[in-house]
Amino acid sequence: MPDNNIPEENKSFSRSSKKTYSLVEIVKAPTTMVDKGPEDTIFAFPIVAILELMLAIGSTLVLVIFSLLKDAPLEELANPLITTDPAKAPWYFMGLQEMLEHMHPTLAGIILPALAVGFLISIPYIDYSREGAGVWFTSKRGKSIVGWTALYTLVAMTGFVLVDNAFPPRELLRDMLPNLVTQSLIPGAVMTFLVVLPLLVLWRSKEGIKNAREVMLVLFTVLFITAVVLTLTGFLFRGPGFELYWPWAMPNGYNPMDGL
Amino acid sequence: MKKLKDFIVNSRVWRSFFRHGWPDNPLDRSLIMTTNVFFHLHPVRVNKRSIKALYSFGLGVITTIMFVVLSITGILEMFYYVPSVDTAYFDIITLQTQVPFGQLLRNMHRWSAHLMVLTAVLHMVRVFYTGAYKRPREFNWVVGVVLLILTLGASFTGYLLPWDQLAFWAITVGTSVAGYEPMFGKLIQKLLLGGAEVGQASLTRFYGLHVMVIPGLLLLIISLHLWRVRKDGGLAANEVKDEIETEVENA
Repeated sequence: MPDNNIPEENKSFSRSSKKTYSLVEIVKAPTTMVDKGPEDTIFAFPIVAILELMLAIGSTLVLVIFSLLKDAPLEELANPLITTDPAKAPWYFMGLQEMLEHMHPTLAGIILPALAVGFLISIPYIDYSREGAGVWFTSKRGKSIVGWTALYTLVAMTGFVLVDNAFPPRELLRDMLPNLVTQSLIPGAVMTFLVVLPLLVLWRSKEGIKNAREVMLVLFTVLFITAVVLTLTGFLFRGPGFELYWPWAMPNGYNPMDGL
Repeated sequence: MKKLKDFIVNSRVWRSFFRHGWPDNPLDRSLIMTTNVFFHLHPVRVNKRSIKALYSFGLGVITTIMFVVLSITGILEMFYYVPSVDTAYFDIITLQTQVPFGQLLRNMHRWSAHLMVLTAVLHMVRVFYTGAYKRPREFNWVVGVVLLILTLGASFTGYLLPWDQLAFWAITVGTSVAGYEPMFGKLIQKLLLGGAEVGQASLTRFYGLHVMVIPGLLLLIISLHLWRVRKDGGLAANEVKDEIETEVENA
C-alpha cells in the first residue's frame, strides 16, 4: 500500500515487502514502460491473436457480403474525345477538387494541401508533452473544445462553400481587382480567418489556452471536419457542370454514388 | 492417442518448426511471441486497457487486414489483366463475365480499397484524439502520415487500370491539379503520365506503381509501423495511470 514516506525513486513502482531488491545499474535512456508496473498487463497470447482473428473474419465477411450485393462500377471504354459531365477525381480527392472551385489552383491544389500535410507531420513535435496520452480527447475540457470546434467548422465551411458559390469574388470583382487578389488573396485570407477564429475565441475565453494540446485539438478538428465537408460537397452535391444539387435530385440521371 | 501426439510434438521435425511447447503456460506464451515471425510484432504482454474495443475500435488492424485482402485479390486479378490500352478494358469485361467468381473478385478488390482509405483516415483520427502521437511515439505518427499518403497513391494508381470513362477522366482531373504548380508541377505531371495526356505510357506507369512500387513500400513501411508500436511501448492506453498509481504519485 502506498504510504506518505515513499522515497522519490520508488514513487512509480511500489516495492513488495516479500521480495528483496538491489540496484544493479542505472541506465540513462528513454523507456516507454517508465512509471508502469507490470500488474495491469496480461499475456498477449492468445487474447490478442483471437481478437485479431475475429476482426479479420468479421471485416472479410462484411466485405464479401457487400461485394455480393453491389458490383464495382465499369463505364464505357475510355474515350479522350468525350468528356464526362461531371468529370470527378476519386472520392478521397474530391475535397481538393471542391477547393479548386473556390480559389486559385496553386492555393487549392498545392499550398493548402502542403500546409495540411506539414501540419500533420509537425503535430507531435509541437505538442510533445506526455500528458493525456491514451485518453480520448485528453479531458472533459478537451472533449468540449473538440465538440464546439467541430460544430463551428461544420457551419463555417458549409457556409463558405455556399456563400462563395452564390457570390464568387473572382467573378464579381473580375474587372475591378487583379486576379491575384480575387483568386488567391481573398480566399486565402477568408480561409486563414476561418481557421484562426476558433483559436482566438479559445484564447480570449475565461480560462485561455492552457497547453499545446488544446491548440492541436482545435486545429486538427478544423482540418478534419473541413476535409469531411469539402469531400462530401464535391462527391455528393456536385452534379453536371459541377453545379450544386441535392444528391437525390441530380439532372440527366447522374448518380454521384456511381463514381465510387 | 496421447502417445501419438507426444511422439509428433516431441519429434525432431516438429521441434524444428516450433521451438516451444503448447502456449498454455507463461514460458511458452512468451516464447511463442518471441520465436514466431508473425507474432513477434506483438509484445509478450499487453495492457488490459489497450485491447478495449472502444479505445482503438480496431481500426489499424482492419486497415492492415484490408491490405492483405487487397494483395491477395490483386494478385488474382493480375492473372487476368494486361495493362494495354487496347485490351485492358476488355480484360475487365472478361474477368467479370467469363472468369468464375471474377465479378466477386473485382468487387472485393474495389470495395476493400475504398474501405482501406476510410479506415486509414479514421485510424489517424483515433490516434490523434487519444493523444497517441505524443512522445515517444512522434516518429511512428510521421510514419503513419507517410502510410496514409501511400494508401491514397495505391488507390489512385489503381483507379486508372479498368481503362473506362470513369478511370480516364478521374485520372485526367486528378493529375491536372499537379500541373497547376508553377515550379515542378508540369514535370511531376509528365513524370506520372509519361506524356502530356493520359495514354498508354500513363497506364504502364500506373500499373507498375500499383502492383509493384507502392505495395512494396507499403509492406515495408507497415512492418516498420507495427514494429514501432511495440518498440514505443504498445498502444498509448498503456500510459494511463490506474488508481493505485495515481494515488502513489499524489502521495
